[in-house]
Amino acid sequence: MSIEVLLNEFAEISEHPHRQIEKFKAEGKKVIGVLPYYAPEELVYAAGMVPMGIWGSNKKTISHAKEYCATFYCTIAQLALEMLLDGTLDDLDGLITPTICDTLRPMSQNFRVAMEGKLPCIFLAHPQQRKPTFGLQFTMDQYQHVKGELEKISGNTITDEALRTAIKVYNRNRAARREFVVLAGQHPDVVSAVKRSAVLRAAYFMIKDDHTAKLEALNAELRALPPCDWKGKKIVTSGIICDNPKLLQIFDDNKIAIAADDVAHESRMIRVDAAETGDPMMALAQQFADQDYDILLYDEHSSENRRADFVVKKIKDSGAQGLVLFMQQFCDPEEMEYPYLKKALDAAGIPHIKLGVDQQMRDFGQASTAIQAFADVL
Amino acid sequence: MSIYTLGIDIGSTASKCIMLSDGKEIVAKSLIDVGAGTSGPQRAIDQVLEEAGKTREDMSFILATGYGRNSLEEFADDQMSELSCHAKGAAFLFPEVRTVIDIGGQDVKVMRVENGIMTNFQMNDKCAAGTGRFLDVMARVLEVDVEDLGALGAQSTKYVGISSTCTVFAESEVISQLSKGTDKRDIINGIHQSVAGRVAGLAHRIGIQDQVVMTGGVAQNTGVVGALQNALGHEVHTSPLTQYNGALGAALFAYQKYKKAHKDK
Ligand code: SF4
Repeated sequence: MSIEVLLNEFAEISEHPHRQIEKFKAEGKKVIGVLPYYAPEELVYAAGMVPMGIWGSNKKTISHAKEYCATFYCTIAQLALEMLLDGTLDDLDGLITPTICDTLRPMSQNFRVAMEGKLPCIFLAHPQQRKPTFGLQFTMDQYQHVKGELEKISGNTITDEALRTAIKVYNRNRAARREFVVLAGQHPDVVSAVKRSAVLRAAYFMIKDDHTAKLEALNAELRALPPCDWKGKKIVTSGIICDNPKLLQIFDDNKIAIAADDVAHESRMIRVDAAETGDPMMALAQQFADQDYDILLYDEHSSENRRADFVVKKIKDSGAQGLVLFMQQFCDPEEMEYPYLKKALDAAGIPHIKLGVDQQMRDFGQASTAIQAFADVL
Repeated sequence: MSIYTLGIDIGSTASKCIMLSDGKEIVAKSLIDVGAGTSGPQRAIDQVLEEAGKTREDMSFILATGYGRNSLEEFADDQMSELSCHAKGAAFLFPEVRTVIDIGGQDVKVMRVENGIMTNFQMNDKCAAGTGRFLDVMARVLEVDVEDLGALGAQSTKYVGISSTCTVFAESEVISQLSKGTDKRDIINGIHQSVAGRVAGLAHRIGIQDQVVMTGGVAQNTGVVGALQNALGHEVHTSPLTQYNGALGAALFAYQKYKKAHKDK
């Protein structure tokens, strides 16, 4: 299949997650909503159900959710609740609610109260100390609870064998996505910023085997292309999420390629694989323990500013000239991390801009001015 | 024969044009007090062409900038962000400029300029605090013309702090000062200081270096300029062409682009 056909298929899926839910339901599958961050989706897969990633929405406006949320909750969390309340997600059979930040913690209770008697909400608390033995045990206990709840919903027992298979499927998908990120950075003439995002976003709405198959086909096509002589600028993106096609179009209009990303919704979620042998529950706990350089996770060496150095290195390695940070409005973790990132970028002489965004934004005039001006100074 | 270029700056609250000959002389200029999405841009274009006695065909290159720059796709040869244009315009008027502060109708921008070229910038977030809109709202509450704010604030004898940077909260603060019987002129002075404080905060993020030039409509308000000077501890330069600065930069870039295209051929 041609690159264009494949890219368009990803875009279709990315833009219509609801159609995917309808399709899965029509096939008799059960669907579990998975909120950010780091929920062990492999367990959902191993239970024979379909995980659907829920990272807010670019098309909804907060209305019903106001009843439950303080106005300073980020739109990602509020719009997830909005879609649960307005019927968009009525077809879900369950919901996993991780609690990694100060917004998601109280939100997990809002989800539970709002969905009482309607939708099972599975609480998941990751430990702050994820690396020591007791931290690994804590993660395993939490995942054990999630596993039990998923078994109740699916009516299936999650065997070690099924879980090992799931881990293999997910590792393969993460590897394909990682390769795609590199290839997209090398071929921005073919993979625009808008299309790149659609490919990565579609992963949250597809059964991973299907996403992998399509993506491996796309990667093979991209690998076969001659090197691209890019005349525009190259940047690295950072932030929680930047999947709005209208916003990304600004990059394409100004010939700015995304060489790599440090975006939670994109690369941060696919950096680390789980071991395919041994105890699979331990493998998942260890996978979480091995996640690093993430603003949401405790770093025992935080005084060394390792995350910022990691981002600086990523920019240098990718050949990008600067960084564009999408700052989600009211996202405390990202806001608090910013000064450290800025310090490291300034020290390395890497220009950057910080754009305030939220998912209810419909007009990107100001962002467009800033991005265009940024391209001028690079 | 002279080469004529046209710069058009379509802002959120005004449309401005500058026509240059040979990238040096200002031939004509126009300003209409409505901006993007109105008849303003077209009227400003008609006016500048008429004033110069020229037609579209006489223009070698037309460059649009400002918030509504994309709306002129059919008419203009190219478009650029207003930040680059403001930096360019300011460097033309003040060759020594290093810092440009532009307070427009809806946003505040601070630009670092080195050798006439923008090398860094900062913009305010979505909020209207510290912008022309903020002053419009305050002038309305105080029942004075926004053009008179500068002169009135200069007559202030007492410091009245307006602590909120949020337009909505500052409005209630002003109303409560009015109901206490505080002199309007002191309140206006407080408002200017509040704008200056907010803008200075943004400017410090990229560092202030002399010369500091202020552009945009608000630069006509001497009260804000004075307060900003105090807040920054640097002299702030303005020009009578302050409102046209973006359009001037656009016309200069238009000339550059025309020259480049014709050298390549
Ligand atoms: S955007 Fe920030 S505040 Fe919102 S859920 Fe994510 S980490 Fe938490």
